[in-house]
Parts: sequence; structure tokens; C-alpha cells
Amino acid sequence: MLNARIRKAFAPTDEADSRPNEEVPSPVGDEASARGDHKVSARDDDRRPARKDGRASGRFVLDVDFNAPPGVTILFGASGAGKTQTLKAIAGLVRPDEGFIAVDGQALFDSSRGVNTPVNRRRVGYVFQNLALFPHMTALENVEFAVGNLPRRERRARARALLERFKVGHTARRRPRAVSGGEAQRVALARALAGEPRLLLLDEPLSALDEAIKLDIIADLKELNRRLRLPILYVTHSRDEALTLGERALVLERGRVVAEGEPHEVFGAPVKASVARLTGVENIFEGEVLSRSEDAGTMLVELHGGAEARGACRVEVPLGRAREGERVCVAVSSGDILLATEEPRGLSARNILAGRVARVEQRAEQTLIHVESGVTWAASVTRQSLREMKIETGKAVWLAFKTYSCRILDS
Amino acid sequence: MREIDLFPLWLSLQVAAVSTLFVVLSGVALAWLLARKNFFGREALDALVTLPLVLPPTVLGYYLLVLLGRNGPAGRLFEALTGGQLVFTLRGAVIAASVGALPLMLKTARAAIASVDAQFEDAARTLGKSEWQIFRRVTLPLASRGILAGAMLAFARSLGDFGATLMVAGNIPGRTQTASIAIYDAVQAGRDSQALALVALLSLVAFTLLYATNRLVSASLK
Repeated sequence: MLNARIRKAFAPTDEADSRPNEEVPSPVGDEASARGDHKVSARDDDRRPARKDGRASGRFVLDVDFNAPPGVTILFGASGAGKTQTLKAIAGLVRPDEGFIAVDGQALFDSSRGVNTPVNRRRVGYVFQNLALFPHMTALENVEFAVGNLPRRERRARARALLERFKVGHTARRRPRAVSGGEAQRVALARALAGEPRLLLLDEPLSALDEAIKLDIIADLKELNRRLRLPILYVTHSRDEALTLGERALVLERGRVVAEGEPHEVFGAPVKASVARLTGVENIFEGEVLSRSEDAGTMLVELHGGAEARGACRVEVPLGRAREGERVCVAVSSGDILLATEEPRGLSARNILAGRVARVEQRAEQTLIHVESGVTWAASVTRQSLREMKIETGKAVWLAFKTYSCRILDS
Repeated sequence: MREIDLFPLWLSLQVAAVSTLFVVLSGVALAWLLARKNFFGREALDALVTLPLVLPPTVLGYYLLVLLGRNGPAGRLFEALTGGQLVFTLRGAVIAASVGALPLMLKTARAAIASVDAQFEDAARTLGKSEWQIFRRVTLPLASRGILAGAMLAFARSLGDFGATLMVAGNIPGRTQTASIAIYDAVQAGRDSQALALVALLSLVAFTLLYATNRLVSASLK
């Protein structure tokens, strides 16, 4: 079991880019490196896009809190959501400002007690996105390097056995440059497991591979998972990988966990529209997919409000199977919508819609505000908020809700 | 034709070999520090070590003479410890050559180490390796071509040092008279064949060295 609570604010890009070298732990001793500040360069792939959209304005805060039991836990999210930084913090390559990281009850990092186990003592297997196989060593030497302190002959035998287990025994004498992408991936996996880690971190391990090889490795990973029962954190932005491999999934957005549960739950695997209505989801609209962003794991949908509505409105929803131009049904619970009387700023919610109050509906336990914004939305508020915000028919208001509050339904 | 004395060339090769050994050891350690560590005064240290590259050799020689002389701090310490002297000895020549050659080693090695993707070192860390193991098994081999090139430049520079060596070690035939000083001496004295022989041999050694290193470097690329 992995417990992780990580908080870290990253400095703006410009500053960090001016000193491209990572600061590394001191070789002087563990005491020194435990206290040393492992600043990380901001060139990291995972962070760049967070700034491009302007809202993050140069500062990125990672703030996650989750547990990962043995088995595959998917870390899902767009580029820049903080997935890689989360892995790095767990491996010890990035030092959180504040937090607690423990594997099987043993603290690796605890800011309140000043615990910070050096990277090389954490026994965390890490497969980097670009694998980072040592180019000057053969496949066998790469794995052998990672095998612990054993006599040379035993080290070699274990490394060979690991390569065989990952079906890449034939690459033993080749340099990483001379093996295929799928083979290199398997060598990297063998190397990450050579030190008998207590935890495995996989950063988009299949992103660069062909479909056929991908399926092959997925099968092997499943087998590996059955046998080892290690906590495996698996970073991906592919829904298919998440649904095939994951036993649990965490969705990261702008450095925060916005959803967690079984992959099917989390990805809103299509639910019947009628079921959604029965369970009290007030906002169900038909719409048309305008564009899909595989990268961000989202798509843009234009909603139509049915016969009585004049207009339309655009919302960002989680990526579904629907193609561009196809019709989908989008559902948002009224409790997931925030209402504001001024234009909200600095929110992480991607959907912010301007509208006017059309009708105030009193119900037994709640008050529903119907807001006209191309389509008519229903947002629930408490009576107290209703009074304090002076909400009445005709008032200009803003609606805000997260991408992952939107669910795609089978219509 | 008078007899040609090749002893100065032999002396130069000895000085260059010892000096290169010092320069490689200290240069690589310093280069790693400058490329991988962030500390107060990092660039000032780099500038200080690089200074001999741009100072006139006589200025460098003067500093060394003050430092290493019988009344200088380093000279006095050395005399107290060993009873020997630094100035006007072969040791002085080695020090002069080393200080002159260190910047070339440092610059090349620092660039070579900085160009090693830090992710390889991070990967080795997650594999449980100590910083020393990482340096020896990952950083050093990946930077080896640059370091080799730096060592070659350092050797060539040590072989040809003139100004600083002359000031620190003097011009004592058979003891501190290295090839480049002997050439100057021979030209001054009109011993043209002696000068020519040393010039030709020094050029040949330098060329062979460059050629061999280039071959070595391109072979390790394959």
C-alpha cells in the first residue's frame, strides 16, 4: 500500500529555465542529501502545457492526496496535470514542500518529522517516459546494473532471467539503440524490477508503441501484476489503457485529484439517459461533438436546448467514444454547478457560462435556480445562499462546473 | 654538425605526462562540481581556474613564483614537509604546466558532463546506486569522449608550455630545460640544427597525439 499526500508549488517557468541543471543529492552522505533541496528544472514535459493556457500564469501547485493498494492504479489526466511530478515526488526526485509519502507503512517522506529517504534507498521502480536506458550499456548490463549487491555471476544470472521473463533475452548483448521500441520498453521494465522494488512507477509506458505491441505488453503487465501484487502507479492519458489495466483510477486536473474510483466509474462509462434522469440528474442535453482533444482527454460539445430553446452553448466534457459531428447526450447534476453573481476568475473549472436567472424553483430540501444560457440549466443552492446572493428572476449570473462533472450518456 | 641533444624533449614528455595526470584528476572532479552542483561562487571558481588561459604566461609565472618561492606560502609548506624546493626544479615545471593546462581540461569536461542527460543519473538513483557509483558507471562513461579530448588538449598544452615554466623552473640544461625552452635557447645561440630537430619532433608528437585521439574518439562513436 502506498500513501501519498504531496503539496508542492513550482516556480514560474522563466526563472527555472535559466538554470537548466537539476540539483542533485549530495554524495557526501545521506544526512546531507536528506536535507538537500532537490529542486527540479521546469523543463519537464508534464508542466509546460499548464502555463500555455494562461490561467495557471506561471505558477503550478501540485496538491494531491491518495492511496494506492497493491494492483494497478491509473493516474489519468491531460499533459500538465501533474502526473509526472507526482511520480517524481514519490520516487524522491522532487521534494514536496509539504506532505507524507509511505510504502507499506514505512515513511519515505514526512515533512512534519523531517523524514526524507534518499532516492537510492526508497526501492521504488521507475520506468521513465523516455525509458532512460543507459546508452553505453547493453540490455543485459542495464539490468545487471540494477540488480543489488550480489556476486557478479549471480547478478548476471538474475539479469538474464529477468530479460527472459520479459521475452527479451535475445537483446541481452545489444545496446538500447539497437533494439525496437517494444523491446526497449521490456528491458526498462526488467531493469525497474531488478532491484526488487516495493512500488512500481510507470510513466506513459506504452505511449510510443504500435497497437499490436501495446496489447502484447498490456497482457504481460497484467500477468506481472497478478504475480507481484505491488502497488503500481500507471500514468497515462489513454482511456483504453486505463480501462484495460486499471483496478483503480485517479483523475488529475491542474495538480489536483478531481475524481477517483474504479476506471469505469471514473470515466463515466456510458450510462443510460433514463437512468440518469431517475437518479435525479437535472441537466441532460443533447449536443454535437465539435472537436476532440486526445491529448487533454476532453472534447468540446455544443448543446442544444430542445424545442423551446433558441440558442446553444458549448461545454468541455471528458473524452468519449463519439467522433466529431456525432450526437451525444451530456448530463450534469445540479449539485455540481456553482452559481456566481460576478464573473468567476481563477477557478479550475473549465466550464464557465454567463446567463440570466429564468425561474426560481423551491423544492422540499433544496432550491433550484433555472438559468438561461443558450440552454436552460438547473443549479441547486441553499435557501441561505438564495437570500444572501439576492437571486431573482432576470439577474445576471455565471455558472461554473468542472469537465469531469459532465457525463456522457447513451441517448 | 654538432650532436643533437634530445634530452629536453624527453623532459617535456615527462612533465606533460605527470601534469596531465594531475589535470585529469582535478579537472574532472572540478568539472563535475561545476556542472552538477549549484553553490555560492560557482562561476567565480570557474573564472578563477580559467584565468591562466587568458593571462600572459609571464603574469601566471610571476604569481606562481610568488606562491611557490622559498618565501611563498606553498613553497614554505613544501619545504617544511619534504625539505625540498619547488622553484627551479622539475616539480615547478610540472606545476606551471598543470596550472596552464587545467582550464582546457575543465572547460571541455564541464561541457561534456553538463551534456549528459541528468535523467540517466536520476534513473540510476531510483535503481539504488550511490552518487559515486552513478558518477563512475553512468556520468563518467557518457562524458568520456569530452574528457578524453580535454586530456589530449591538456597534454599538448603541457608539452608546449614556455613562459610560466621558464619563470618558475628556469632554464637549467639537463634539469629543467624543457623542449620549448631548449628551442628558444638553441635559436639564441645559433644552433639551428638543434632547434630544427626539436621543432620537428615536437610537431610530430603533437600531430600523432591529435591523430590518435581523433581515431579513438571516432571509434568510440561507433
